[in-house]
Amino acid sequence: MALAPTQKTDKNTITRRTAMLGAGGLSVFGVLGARLYQLQVLQAENYQALSEDNRFNFSMLLPERGEIRDRFGLPLARNRQNFRLVMIPERTPEIEKTLDRVDQISALSSRQRDRIQKDIRQNPKFVPILVKDNIDWATFSALNMRLHALPGIVSEAGQGRAYPESGVFSHILGYVGRAGDSDIARDEDPLLKQPTFRIGKTGVEASQEKTLRGSSGRLKVEVNARGRIVREWPDPKTEAVSGQDVWLTLDAGLQEFAAKQFATEDEGDDSGGICVIDVMTGELRTLLSMPTFDANLFVSGLTQADMDALNSDPKRPQYNKAIAGGYPPASTFKMVVMLAALESGLIDPNDKILCLGKVRLGNRNFHCWKRQGHGRVDMRDALKQSCDTYFYDIAQVVGMEKIANVARRLGLGESYEIGVGGGISGIVPTPDWKQARLGTGWRTGDTLNASIGQGFVLATPIQLAVMTARLANMTEAVSPRLVIGGDITPFGKMDFNPAHLAYVRDAMWSVTSEEGGTAFRYDSLGIEGVEMAGKTGTGQVRGISQSERNAGVRKNSKLPWKLRDHSIFVGFAPYDKPRFAVGTIVEHGGSGAKRAANITRAVLAEALRRDGLGTAEGPVSQEALN
Amino acid sequence: MVTRQMNSPRMKGALTNKLYEINWLLPTLVGLVGLVGVAMIYAATEGVWRYGAFQHIVRIGVGGIAMLAIAMIDIRFWYRLAYPIYAAALVLLIGVEFFGVIVNGSQRWLDLGFMRLQPSEVMKPAIVLAMARYYHDLPDWRVSHISGLAGALILLTLPMALILKQPDLGTTLLLGATGVTMIFLAGISWRVIGLASVFAAVAIPVFFKFGLKPYQQERILTFLDPSRDPAGASYHITQSKIALGSGGVNGKGFMQGTQRQGEYVPENRTDFIFTVIGEEFGLVGGLFTMGLYMAVIAVCIWLSLQCKALFSKLLVLGLTTTFTLYIFINLGMVMGLAPVVGVPLPLISYGGTVILAVMGGFGLVLSAHLHRNVELPRSES
Repeated sequence: MALAPTQKTDKNTITRRTAMLGAGGLSVFGVLGARLYQLQVLQAENYQALSEDNRFNFSMLLPERGEIRDRFGLPLARNRQNFRLVMIPERTPEIEKTLDRVDQISALSSRQRDRIQKDIRQNPKFVPILVKDNIDWATFSALNMRLHALPGIVSEAGQGRAYPESGVFSHILGYVGRAGDSDIARDEDPLLKQPTFRIGKTGVEASQEKTLRGSSGRLKVEVNARGRIVREWPDPKTEAVSGQDVWLTLDAGLQEFAAKQFATEDEGDDSGGICVIDVMTGELRTLLSMPTFDANLFVSGLTQADMDALNSDPKRPQYNKAIAGGYPPASTFKMVVMLAALESGLIDPNDKILCLGKVRLGNRNFHCWKRQGHGRVDMRDALKQSCDTYFYDIAQVVGMEKIANVARRLGLGESYEIGVGGGISGIVPTPDWKQARLGTGWRTGDTLNASIGQGFVLATPIQLAVMTARLANMTEAVSPRLVIGGDITPFGKMDFNPAHLAYVRDAMWSVTSEEGGTAFRYDSLGIEGVEMAGKTGTGQVRGISQSERNAGVRKNSKLPWKLRDHSIFVGFAPYDKPRFAVGTIVEHGGSGAKRAANITRAVLAEALRRDGLGTAEGPVSQEALN
Repeated sequence: MVTRQMNSPRMKGALTNKLYEINWLLPTLVGLVGLVGVAMIYAATEGVWRYGAFQHIVRIGVGGIAMLAIAMIDIRFWYRLAYPIYAAALVLLIGVEFFGVIVNGSQRWLDLGFMRLQPSEVMKPAIVLAMARYYHDLPDWRVSHISGLAGALILLTLPMALILKQPDLGTTLLLGATGVTMIFLAGISWRVIGLASVFAAVAIPVFFKFGLKPYQQERILTFLDPSRDPAGASYHITQSKIALGSGGVNGKGFMQGTQRQGEYVPENRTDFIFTVIGEEFGLVGGLFTMGLYMAVIAVCIWLSLQCKALFSKLLVLGLTTTFTLYIFINLGMVMGLAPVVGVPLPLISYGGTVILAVMGGFGLVLSAHLHRNVELPRSES
């Protein structure tokens, strides 16, 4: 079947058609040439820009983090060499086998191995993956010797954060860690996205982040299609600016000394908090929460076991009790009531009140700690002997509003911005407060409880120290400071009658110095001519039932730890020329006259010695100078 | 250029004489293109000879010797061997189906131990040989007759189907285009061409839907609408255009291509090697390369015109068509004018079989020209 009429194919058909195809081919070459002209001449600039985009990237140079030092320059947080092993997966032919060989020299847990495998999966094959860090020098050397048998494994000495005085400063300094999503959302600094960069997570590390961080540098680098850096360009290069050091008012030696005072013979470290404050400047010499924990663990990565141990400890080592532990101030609150009474003019301090061991209010008995009663006591005696009945009595006359007002002026019920974070304000209760908080009206019984620092009243060790410092200072509303530098705002005036303050101070002196004082013979600090004034407090943590009273109140030491009273003491010294004030709380430490008073006395004495009083070697220890 | 006549009076030896009679312009141009290839592979592999440039030299050398050897053999021998070679190539293609090595998801290679052979490359000169012989043997009146057309189409579609199955869309289309061109050159009537065009308009969408793998469809769709998938299939084209465009008029200089150094253009040693030329030597280098190719093609066409036998003419033109289509498809792809199909730039891209096939083809061209006056009888019935 013919598809078309038979046509004569002459010899020229093929030549003609060849010419046609040749012309067609020529025009295709023309089109290709024109396209090349379009790309390389007309749009060249555009493509050159795209090519540069492809090619260049900016690599970030990480700044060195500033150090944190104590008042004498002793480093509390510093940067140190962090010996680590990294693996470049594309250079490691047999990853499992190589890890096995590393494991033989430096053990890798199955968790670490899982993390390594995960990192390898989630990153391009040329990105170095951390195998292990914080390797000690001996192991690091051993690994270095065998690197030839570990293809793709590279040993590095990077920067890590270390807390050489860790433990006693853990609560203050906080720790650093990799920035989380919420940090990145808050802070636009691109440094945060760098995988090896660490930011302050808590404590001073977090509050002084801006000072400590410094700023990143930039390095122009040429990268290939897979993001690998092909070469570095010297220009433009911006060097990273190291962060600045932060100096704290704390005295590392004193902090260490204070921590030792919390040690017990058989029950490990006692739980509690202590604060030593400069009566004139508000500088904190010691701010300690016990027991402590090692913040270095948080930097290197906490194991589940460490975490469980920390979380299940009934003494809650991670909790910063010095600023976040709210305790009933107990009898140390009596100075507040006393000052309020004097300021109100409603009470004559010389009037005596008869204490019979308890006061009946409605159908309820309010007991004095001394069951047989103190007999007739005036205001000074009442503080010296810590007579509860006296304060039940005058508090009803003065009223809670006036007491609360004085409490606030003495620094209670306020959280101080010292740059640690997590501080609580405690509670200075008033009828309004109770109405708002609990929705019920104020009752006289509430005033009675508050008058002896129980009931709703809550205070922290730092607040007790501030209260004591203000009583000792007499004029200025001293506020605590932890970080040296920055703006210093002058303290406000308290506007108390100096005579009233002098009366309170004298009564506090009697507590430690006169026979019958609850802390009699604690006035002596072992330094010639220096006396300590103070006040004991015994914070009740449980209600004592009537049947229990009838059976005879059990001795504290016979109770389970959790049910024992809190031991509280506030004090300042020297009495005649106050220098430091201290607030101490020992959780379940029993009577304030014992555990807390002993600690306070020892720490105050050491603080004064380190400050140049007495026979100590001087304010700056040899260790601090190095 | 004047070529010597075969009947030279003084013959020192048939061999040397024949060598002397070869058109040396074509081998010279082919060698020049090969050298461009060596330089560009050298650049694409960061100046490491053993990553391809050295092999390329060896292949050009071996290919050149093969080319001259083939050229020396009488065209009548190739005429006789046309169908056996075609059959052998077909067997190799079927062999790939069963014993082929899979590289990058395509089963295109036969592992011969010393080299990997790509039978689809062998089929390119083989189909031209077979179709040239077919039309030489076919009486003119049957060219536009259905029986004549059917024979040609069978010759053509058998290897196309096998290659499409590998899958290798580029070579399939190239083979088809070469075959169609040869049918056109053989003198098929315009009426048939018209009918075929109508048929193609219907058949191509059907083929697209049922004959192509999803990734092949994707490539064509991406080519038609580059915004479909900027990071995926069109990444090649975008990066390729950046490399070319950033080269400008004079290029960034030999071994200075930043796109190349950054490994942004994939396969720039093989299919995308023109990006290296364009980036490092700019428009000047690109046009120079295209000019060399045009010279090769022009010389081939000119040689075909001197051949007397239809077999020789069709053979030379068919091989030239294949060579030209390689260039068009490759350059079109690299410049973003054609979809990305794996077609190398002949003589410049790294790859052994292509060089041997292309240079073997030029051997046949030279043989046809060398024996241009040899009589090949045609049946007139």
